[in-house]
Amino acid sequence: MSNRKEVAAASQSAAIQDSFGTIVRRFINEYWSGTSRSLKIIDAYMFYILITGVVQFAYCCLVGTFPFNSFLSGFISCVASFVLASCLRMQVNPQNKSEFSGITKERAFADFLFASLLLHLVVINFIG
Amino acid sequence: MRVSFFAIVFLVCMPLALCTTKRTLVLLENLSFRESFSQYFKLLRDKGFELSFRTADDSTLTLTKYGEFLYDNLIIFAPSVREFGGKLNTPAISDFVDNGGNLLVAGSSSIGEAVRELAAECGVEYDEEKTALIDHLRYDAKDTGRHTLVIADKRNLLDAPIIIGDNAKASLKPLLYRGVAMTADSANPLVLPILHADSTAYSFNPERSIDDYPMLLARPLCSLPACRLATMPGPFLLARWNSSPTNSSEPLWSPPTPPLLLSGNRDLALSLSQWVFKQRGVLRFRDVKHSLAGESAPPEFYTVKDLVQYSITIDIYKPETGRWEPFQGSDVQLEFVRIDPFVRTNLRSDGKGTFRAEFQLPDVYGVYQFKVDYTRVGLTGLHSSTLVSVRPLRHTQYDRFIVAAYPYYVSAFSMMAGLFLFSFVFLYHRDEAAEHKKKE
Repeated sequence: MSNRKEVAAASQSAAIQDSFGTIVRRFINEYWSGTSRSLKIIDAYMFYILITGVVQFAYCCLVGTFPFNSFLSGFISCVASFVLASCLRMQVNPQNKSEFSGITKERAFADFLFASLLLHLVVINFIG
Repeated sequence: MRVSFFAIVFLVCMPLALCTTKRTLVLLENLSFRESFSQYFKLLRDKGFELSFRTADDSTLTLTKYGEFLYDNLIIFAPSVREFGGKLNTPAISDFVDNGGNLLVAGSSSIGEAVRELAAECGVEYDEEKTALIDHLRYDAKDTGRHTLVIADKRNLLDAPIIIGDNAKASLKPLLYRGVAMTADSANPLVLPILHADSTAYSFNPERSIDDYPMLLARPLCSLPACRLATMPGPFLLARWNSSPTNSSEPLWSPPTPPLLLSGNRDLALSLSQWVFKQRGVLRFRDVKHSLAGESAPPEFYTVKDLVQYSITIDIYKPETGRWEPFQGSDVQLEFVRIDPFVRTNLRSDGKGTFRAEFQLPDVYGVYQFKVDYTRVGLTGLHSSTLVSVRPLRHTQYDRFIVAAYPYYVSAFSMMAGLFLFSFVFLYHRDEAAEHKKKE
């Protein structure tokens, strides 16, 4: 009886002593082992888009919005690509199969490509 | 005639052809003044002027015939005349001046209404009758005791070599003056006082004792005011003279204190006459050219931020040769004006009378004028203005790629490249589950 209490107390204190660093490490470990490779590829692509978008925005804040249409076009290209990639990830994730029942992986990818094509057409038109 | 210094009124306007500016009508109080002023008239005749002598109240006097002026210059040496004869009166003389005539008027201590009115028309006021310019500290040795024969320091001359003669301030001898004092409103921009009185001078009747404040005192007193007509590009000089006719065999100028020296009256009179009768200080411009830098013909219109060149040729009339020579000026300016001047630059002279400038048009479109506005004391005013239109950039004249937007171009294309690579990788990567199955 006292053993179990001690173990419970010990595990409680251990839980309280869990630091932010431990959570992050656990998250990373679970991510590496738990997600499939295709999702990891999409995540890497999205990270790249994020970096590009942040750099562009910082540049605009420093230099000013002089060719505003160019800024909007470049920035929205990043934002919309990010959104489309996240939609692809959602549709391709096997854990969401119940919500996207009629949509195969191939169909999702085809939609993604078509939307991206439209996006880039508009971006090149607007960038001046 | 012992005229120590005579002041003369000149009205000068720019005639169209300078070669015919020598016909002069001389109005005298009575014809014996021809001998009294013989030296002065000889000076004029030597310079080529044709003089016609009449008395001021001659009933056949007229300046125009069939709508054209018979004379170019008018000299009035008749201060005490009450009314001009014939068709001459103040409006007629003003009309003569407005249309290019030159006028020289002399006053004296006894001034009649006619000359007083004419002077008032020109912005100059004579003092009352029988008054004279008196200076108890600077009078000549030959003065009769009233201290009215005043030595006028050449320092009090207007600083304008065109009017008073080149090197006048340096080389002119002292001037003698005897006559009535004049004044002109100092706020009037068209009246030039050529010769002031000294600060020790005042104007009063020399025969009376002074019991009230003199009307005119010290510096505002002019011996030689000149007046410029606003509409005409020439100067106008107003002055007066004294009136004691004496033996004509005496020289025109009289020596002041011993050792005997000649006064500078003659030289100053000659320079002034030449200036008034438009022999000196007359400018004209011609050949105004503007174009894009490097081209010779002006385009239909300019575009903002073009490089343009402008040139103008300015001549000055030289009475010695009777020809127009290139003007050597260093301070002619060009203005590029659209309501307000956007560009103001100096014109460089090439030594042969052509003044050039090159500049870039402002970044504002509109209708502009190239303006050259050159007014200097004693010189004819030059006013040249050329209208041009400056258009904004056409839509094809802007930069194709803006340098500040390069990061955005790069990012848009990098998105496309990333998409391309991603789709290959996504479609053809080896799935882990398949790998494991294979291994198993």
